Amino acid sequence: MVEKVNYVVGILFIFFIWTIASYLINSQLILPNPLSVFLTIADEITKQIFWMSLVQTLSKVLVVLFSVVFVGVVVGFLVGLNDILYEISRPFILFMQAFPIVTWLALVMFIWGIGWTGPVVVSFLSLLPNAILSTAVGIQTTDKRLIEMAHVYNVRKSRILKDVYLGSIIPQFVSTLQVVIGNVWKVVVVAEYMCGEKGIGVLIAWARQSVSVEKVYAYTIVIIAIGLIVESIVHRLVRRLLKNWELA
Amino acid sequence: MGISVNDVILSVKNLEKFFGKLKVIENLSFELLKGESIAFLGPSGCGKTTLLKIVAGIDKNYNGYIQKHFSKIGYVFQEPRLIPWKNVIENILFVCNDEQRVLSILKTFSLENFAHYLPSKLSGGMKQRVNLARALISDPQVLFLDEPFASLDVHMKLSIIEDIIEKRKIGNFSMILVTHDIREALLLADRIILLSDKPSRIIGEFKTKHIPKSALSEEFQKMESAILSEVMRRWSV
Repeated sequence: MVEKVNYVVGILFIFFIWTIASYLINSQLILPNPLSVFLTIADEITKQIFWMSLVQTLSKVLVVLFSVVFVGVVVGFLVGLNDILYEISRPFILFMQAFPIVTWLALVMFIWGIGWTGPVVVSFLSLLPNAILSTAVGIQTTDKRLIEMAHVYNVRKSRILKDVYLGSIIPQFVSTLQVVIGNVWKVVVVAEYMCGEKGIGVLIAWARQSVSVEKVYAYTIVIIAIGLIVESIVHRLVRRLLKNWELA
Repeated sequence: MGISVNDVILSVKNLEKFFGKLKVIENLSFELLKGESIAFLGPSGCGKTTLLKIVAGIDKNYNGYIQKHFSKIGYVFQEPRLIPWKNVIENILFVCNDEQRVLSILKTFSLENFAHYLPSKLSGGMKQRVNLARALISDPQVLFLDEPFASLDVHMKLSIIEDIIEKRKIGNFSMILVTHDIREALLLADRIILLSDKPSRIIGEFKTKHIPKSALSEEFQKMESAILSEVMRRWSV
């Protein structure tokens, strides 16, 4: 209960600082006050285009999330199981990780132009290296003594993969999931802003063009709020899932 | 009555093992008979675990000859090596698919009330019991024990030793124990082989099959003193 109260106090503190700052800056073009932003949100949520854009962004987030987790775990698993493959692929994965998002954006726009595919591909490519590396590290840090025990008892390889390796990567998988969920919204919105046709990122781009700063802040707050709600749900699910992974 | 070739279940000749340039086992030869129990008694870090891993077939990188006439083994590791996210019953099912057998062995080891506990919720002794139950579930021909009582209190140690003695009476499996504890060796072995410090080689042997398996008996204490004085002389303590 105390934690929840402190959390609410923390949020109120943000709005307090925001109100003071907007009063001191005194420019609606730089930092509009919270009240005008919330009035804008109230107005926007009555419009059909807002909800359609939100669904568009949400669909991209879900596609990116599932594809990153699926491909990341499968590739990370294979890479982690084979030391040579890990050493060969590591520079490539690190290179991909260091690749600036804008470069991906430029390349994607050349290939697919503006639309649904661009933001999804850019977000996927930006988040995938982290998922692969953390899964591979999870596989490589599997307790070798458990593997030795399994070999002593002639346990089938498929069973070792399922019961030992898969179990070992769960903590890494969960932290990767949390990182991906925390970042996927930001990356998708940026990609939409640059090369999207529909979505919250596109609405932010339009608001910028029409110098409607309240709208920029309003869409940002909506995205942050949804992101936090999703993160909190995942966090709870993860805590329940991880109960069995409490080590001695 | 002499020992026939058919009685030998394991034969090791001129075994040598190097870690890089460091020789850890030197010219080691011995035989294990069907139903026999041997204890290798050696100082800490002399290569006992390495020796056990080689004869159990875990470590295949060695020089020398090993002839095995067994296929099913049980291995009681020094640390229990239980899968942390699996409960007791799942840990044993990991090595044996027969659920009825697993339930039965849990009962034998008085673990039935802990079947659904995760390893993190078990005491050190309980974990070691599960380790032993897992080793015996498939009726091994040879049971390997790698200092399995190192982290246990005296009560738990004696209780598990009793369990092993009982199971041997029923299963009549052969056994190889490595330890640095004379009493453990005396309680469990028919023969004690004394190893030197690194590189490990055989420096003495004691036949202990006839010794009553009770630390209170006079014969047991005499043998313990004899081994202790040999150990004091040979291990530079």
